[in-house]
Amino acid sequence: MGVIHGEEMVLNIGPQHPSTHGVLRLKVKTDGEIISEITPVIGYLHRCFEKHCENMTYDQVIPYTDRCDYLAAMANNFGYVVAVEELMELKVPEKVEYIRVIMAELQRIASHLLALGVYGLDIGAFTPFLFMLRDRERILDMFEMTCGARLLYNYMWVGGVSHDLPKGFVETAFQFLDYFEPQIEEYNNLLTYNKIFIERTADIGVLPADVAISYGVSGPNLRASGVKWDLRKNDTYSIYDKFEFDVCIGDGGQGTLGDCWDRYYVRMLEVKESVKILRQALAQMPKDGDVHQALPKKIRPPKGSIYSRTETPRGDLGFYIESDGSPIPTRVKMRSPAFTALSVLGELAGGWMMSDVISILGSLDIVLGEIDR
Amino acid sequence: MGMLENRFQDNVVVAKLDKLIGWARSTSPWYFQFGLACCAIEMMAAAASRHDLERLGMMPRSSPRQADVMIVAGTVTMKMSLRVKKLYEQMADPKYVIAMGSCATSGGPYWQHGYHVLKGVDIVVPVDVYVPGCPPRPEALIEGLLKLQEKILDERPLTRKMA
Amino acid sequence: MSADQEKLITELVGKGLAGDMDPINAIEDRVLRSKAKAALAKAKRAAKTATTAAPTEEKPATETIAETPPSDNPNKKFGKMIEDTFQGSLDAELNDTHIQLKPDNWFEIAKWLKSEPSLYFDSLQCHTGMDVGENMLEARYNLHSMTHDHKIEIRIAVSRDKANIPSIEQIWRIGDWFERETYDMFGIFFDGHRDHRRMLLPEDWEGYPLRKDYEVQETYHGIAIPKVKVGWE
Repeated sequence: MGVIHGEEMVLNIGPQHPSTHGVLRLKVKTDGEIISEITPVIGYLHRCFEKHCENMTYDQVIPYTDRCDYLAAMANNFGYVVAVEELMELKVPEKVEYIRVIMAELQRIASHLLALGVYGLDIGAFTPFLFMLRDRERILDMFEMTCGARLLYNYMWVGGVSHDLPKGFVETAFQFLDYFEPQIEEYNNLLTYNKIFIERTADIGVLPADVAISYGVSGPNLRASGVKWDLRKNDTYSIYDKFEFDVCIGDGGQGTLGDCWDRYYVRMLEVKESVKILRQALAQMPKDGDVHQALPKKIRPPKGSIYSRTETPRGDLGFYIESDGSPIPTRVKMRSPAFTALSVLGELAGGWMMSDVISILGSLDIVLGEIDR
Repeated sequence: MGMLENRFQDNVVVAKLDKLIGWARSTSPWYFQFGLACCAIEMMAAAASRHDLERLGMMPRSSPRQADVMIVAGTVTMKMSLRVKKLYEQMADPKYVIAMGSCATSGGPYWQHGYHVLKGVDIVVPVDVYVPGCPPRPEALIEGLLKLQEKILDERPLTRKMA
Repeated sequence: MSADQEKLITELVGKGLAGDMDPINAIEDRVLRSKAKAALAKAKRAAKTATTAAPTEEKPATETIAETPPSDNPNKKFGKMIEDTFQGSLDAELNDTHIQLKPDNWFEIAKWLKSEPSLYFDSLQCHTGMDVGENMLEARYNLHSMTHDHKIEIRIAVSRDKANIPSIEQIWRIGDWFERETYDMFGIFFDGHRDHRRMLLPEDWEGYPLRKDYEVQETYHGIAIPKVKVGWE
């Protein structure tokens, strides 16, 4: 009995679809259930971020960077502020560095929780989604305690932060960490080692390391393919060299190296490492210091350009800033990690079935706000 | 049943048909999850366990045919605006629209230099309730939905409207 | 301002730069005192930039004296290697921040940069377009090597009338999407790109938005695009 080839059908997923991570359109050519070609179409959320940067001053750009990757707004602020400070050769006080690292790691936990919860939701597991969002709300409570906002903070400024940590923040944070560490075990029992989840994600969408590097994939997606590359260790910025933590890489635990389960598992391990960093940072942080001490009166970087990268929950976020000495930047280009992660979807998804495509897309953890800017 | 409890004698029920239809439509509107950008995350947080939307009867539906309320959460761009209009036309009557967030209300922070941003979703679809904020808290979205319920209660669908 | 007032202010600024603020503070007339203080602030700023400019002016002098040791800066080092391997491809002198290339044999240079074992630039980190004014557009490539951990920046400038650069999307696969985005925003054409179309804006959009002289179109599919929202200023 030979193989029956039907006609190829062109299906359209999105741009409005509950399982995409924003407004993404996928043009899918299928032969029955098997996919032969997949083309992402983006641009449905292009909000002209780079044009706004050319018309606003350096500190007015910070709220716009928040809105690019809205799931990890602190990390975006951090990346931009580190780039501008490097251009201006500005040094910030030690307390500010500690506060920034604490906020960035809390944001990493919150972003990974959402990514993992929504991934479970895509596969069909509703309970882990609710549990993870419940814990994420506690982190958002801490952010709200500090700067008043739940999702988009405008917290890290060039030369400092906008508000000092309130009284009781360190105690609340330690209480949260003590509550949260056993929860990771609960998530592992519910989802990570769940037989159905493993069936749906192991051996699917394998990304080899050299393809990943050529496509510019970074962050947990790259580490799941076995490449030990973390900007916090390899290209250190801020005070990350003062903390002890491991770089988690995938090891093909439940299937091939670099499959969807590895990408999921690396994120889960990173949450554990972030808890480690947080404990050290909260203990080592200097108690007193003025966070507004190094804020410049007028932000006027010298003429020149810089490309600087930081590690966000999605990968390396790069900012290419060119300045001509005036308070308004000439060009700000944001190189987002989700852009490169989505570009590899075409390579990964050929030959799989429709529901596997949803699985692969969820494991890449993309945010359309960052891709379209 | 709060409105109708202990109101009538015996077994004759008198009601204005308008009011009855308004009451039936306003409770438990199912919303069409049209999350575009950051406000979508707050919409998801409103549906999660802390600020539960389901206790108000609202269930997320992914298909426009099954939904009553379209919550436009996030920035609408020119490329997306044609799709918003198409999906609105595919919803079955009676249908309502909530513009959530400043971007859907009037363009938001992108009003000045956003060449690709639609300055308010009311240019393409008629909006019933505007919920401002960037992003609005889940409590604000719930207040918007309650205001929509009040609006539906006060609607009089059967009377002929004078032009 | 009269001539003696100017002379007085110059004198007071001289004293203020030396650290003596009393003569300025002793002036009765408020307008004159504020003018003197403003002039002093300006003079201090000018003095600061003069001192920061002075050391950099000295550097080229010392460099011409000691030119023989090879530079450690990656842009200079690898720029020299590119010039040695592909003669005539540099468009400007070697400097610390970037390597300026001509667009003609960029594809061969890029292939060599990726495959040469001592360089091995296997990742294209960022691709930026720039409108540098004077009718010129530029494409900037930030390259990075995962094995050797060094990075360089390459800039290629083309004029607006003939904005063609060879495409490198077959060498670094992320170049595919990066170049489409640069074409979308700036209008630089990449010869040899297999899928040359707009990335973020709709296919029927007119104009290239990130150019400095961009004027947004009036309507799109019947929806008017207001230049600024009326009544919101």
